[in-house]
Amino acid sequence: MDRRQFLAVGATTVAGGLAGCRSMFETRSARSPPLVEDRPDAVYVPTHVEGMEMVGTTEAGDYGVALTYSFPHRFWLLDADETNRVEIRGEDSAHLMSVVWDSETGTVVPNSSVRATVERDGETVVGDKSLWSMLSQNMGVHAGDNVSLDGDGTYDVTLEIGPVSARRTGTFADRFDQLVEASFTVEFQQSTLEDLSFELLPDRQGERGAVESMDMEMLPVARAPDPEAIPGDAIGAPSTGDATLAVTRLSTPPEGIDGEGAYLAVSPRTPYNSYPLPFMSLSATLTRDGSEAFAGALEPTFDPDLGYHYGAVADPQAGDELTLSVDLPPQIARHEGYETAFLSFEDVSLTV
Amino acid sequence: MPPSRISRRDFVKTAVAIGGASALSACLGREDPDLPTGSAGARPARQHAWNDALATDDAGNDIPPRHHLVRLFDYRGDRPTDADRETVETALRSLERAYPRSHETDDGHGVGLLSTVGYGPSYFERFDDPGVALPEPEPLAPFENPTPDDADVIVHLASDYGSVLLATEQALDGERDTVNGVEVAATLSDVLVDADLADEGRTRRTGFIGAGLPADNQGVTGIPDSEPVSEDAPLYMGFESGFKGSQASEDRVTIEGGPFAGGTTQHLSQIHLNLQQWYEQDSREHRESTMFCPAHADGDRIEGTGENLGADNQVAGCADDVTTDATESGKVGHAQKTARARVDGQPRILRRDFDSTDDERATVHFLSLQSAIAEFVATRQAMNGTTAADSAAVGQRSNNGILQYITVERRGNYLVPPRNKRALPAAP
Ligand code: HEM
Repeated sequence: MDRRQFLAVGATTVAGGLAGCRSMFETRSARSPPLVEDRPDAVYVPTHVEGMEMVGTTEAGDYGVALTYSFPHRFWLLDADETNRVEIRGEDSAHLMSVVWDSETGTVVPNSSVRATVERDGETVVGDKSLWSMLSQNMGVHAGDNVSLDGDGTYDVTLEIGPVSARRTGTFADRFDQLVEASFTVEFQQSTLEDLSFELLPDRQGERGAVESMDMEMLPVARAPDPEAIPGDAIGAPSTGDATLAVTRLSTPPEGIDGEGAYLAVSPRTPYNSYPLPFMSLSATLTRDGSEAFAGALEPTFDPDLGYHYGAVADPQAGDELTLSVDLPPQIARHEGYETAFLSFEDVSLTV
Repeated sequence: MPPSRISRRDFVKTAVAIGGASALSACLGREDPDLPTGSAGARPARQHAWNDALATDDAGNDIPPRHHLVRLFDYRGDRPTDADRETVETALRSLERAYPRSHETDDGHGVGLLSTVGYGPSYFERFDDPGVALPEPEPLAPFENPTPDDADVIVHLASDYGSVLLATEQALDGERDTVNGVEVAATLSDVLVDADLADEGRTRRTGFIGAGLPADNQGVTGIPDSEPVSEDAPLYMGFESGFKGSQASEDRVTIEGGPFAGGTTQHLSQIHLNLQQWYEQDSREHRESTMFCPAHADGDRIEGTGENLGADNQVAGCADDVTTDATESGKVGHAQKTARARVDGQPRILRRDFDSTDDERATVHFLSLQSAIAEFVATRQAMNGTTAADSAAVGQRSNNGILQYITVERRGNYLVPPRNKRALPAAP
């Protein structure tokens, strides 16, 4: 049977409730309905929202760590400015996800160095698999991938969390630079997956907008700080590629950055949910009285007050013309609703 | 698990991985190399001088022996005695009499038996004044935590025939009186014992390299069930490795002065691979970019396994672009980064690595030779791509060459003396 035809049938089954829908393939297809046609080149409401199973949280080194899972997902990898769709494989059993945050402040840490090993009775089922840094509408920034398990049972999952690549400042300066391990025990049951909440969004799917983040007590969500709350002078928050770039001037650079003069901080975030957009290349030019006062890359930086942002001691002055260019879209894998956004950016200009 | 295909190659490799007498007899029945015996005659003064015994391909690249075996031992005694030295040397000479380094075959040229014997820091520690600068293995990146291998002695054996390695091993272990019709005059096991390695490390590491072998042995954890490794791939990751132009020469890796002049140093890491994303999620273009460099992918320079590149991986032209590639294309290549470690255009290490199914995990035994361990460390540092990781899109491991797919489990450093000091050398 053609997969697409089958999906149409599956979708009806879901609408009628999941009871009786026990075949793996049937359920999985139903949970991955056809993509919206004519998706906008922007953040849009996906075909569905679904719940996830929380395995637990623990502490490891500087981090709080959570492990969760849900149904296998389709998602999109970023390769420069192209997306590369990852399909669900027949053998995939679950989408494994992890969130890591600063155990002191609760700030989610965009870390692209999380690895998972899954064992059962001492046998390695999944060995040292790197999890992709991902962005989803209901979870924000996390690490995840589909994994293939050996059916129902007890699994030991070890997450290995490597150092953060971004420059770190302030009280973050000497944190997140170690290799640490977090261990979990997962009682995996296919039936648990099938009981997860699942809701199709036929009326809203494809509209510009986003579903809200899941509200989970145990699990912080990555939010870029409110522009009002960022220390320093807000210069503006232009939008490009459907991202909002909150631009701030700090009279002195954050602690740990050398250089004389004012600091330029740009904090790109998603619309609606204000999730930070890590792993992009961003550069700035400042023009003062017709001549160039600064031109250069803004360095990815993780700061307790500014969050994950891009900055340089560019010494912006009142009246300067500031142009921001995105040289490379955020290289973070995307869940449905984000895969068509943040791919192509026009330069933005504003006056300091 | 997909049904396993029984092929001749498959069978031979599995035999080396399993080891032992029954593996050997089964293997011999199929392989039957009909090798001449070796000679007691002159051998190169450098143990690591293997290249002249290797076949070369049309482009002039050395073709490594297809089967490999590494054994890690501890010395039974404290200070080595002359009698024990004699035993080791006699055992090695027996093997040299039994097998030729190489021989002519119907289709050209085959490797009979090549070997090196090396010694780790723990071997030299027994002397009051060890007199060698051989560092203990250390983590070489902030994101790794390998277990150090602390064996006294390392023996590396290589052949185009699995049966030769198995018979050799039995001779060394004292389980055979003759090999290839030649009497075994001494056995290593009288003076050496399997090393007692931290975290239950394997003392027996096996493997293979060469078209067909990775494809036939892909039923291991770390390689997805879709059998993505192609029949012409010499290694699991699907590309040629060890181009002439990207290998240090044997001269370059030879220790020049001091008591071990004419020797070399050897590094051995045990690396696990997870290639599910590599083969099932990444695009071919991404694989080319991250193994070689983005310019190779953009310019469509790599066909199949990359044999078309000839004798040179051609990354010299993009090695200087690591930082720009990181910012503009969001990824950097493994060869591109490691080529930055070249000195005067010459690579610093001679790679003799091979793939393995040890522990049913897709594994690389990364074995390299260099004039000093510091040369390996410098190369590995270049591979870390730390400056590339300063850009946002390239992480410490993500989009950073092949670091995302490999995990270094163990590391060991050894000194390979010149041939005349290969048997339990004294402290200088
Ligand atoms: C673990 C899996 C590894 C695989 C599959 C692998 C594979 C490759 C391949 C396909 C190439 C390009 C072809 C060539 O020039 O030979 C290459 C180049 C190279 N690799 Fe690796 N490699 C691995 C690990 C390492 C490690 C651990 C090092 C040591 C630091 C290393 C050092 C090099 C060097 C020095 C080059 C040549 C660079 C130059 O052209 O100057 N590789 N490797």
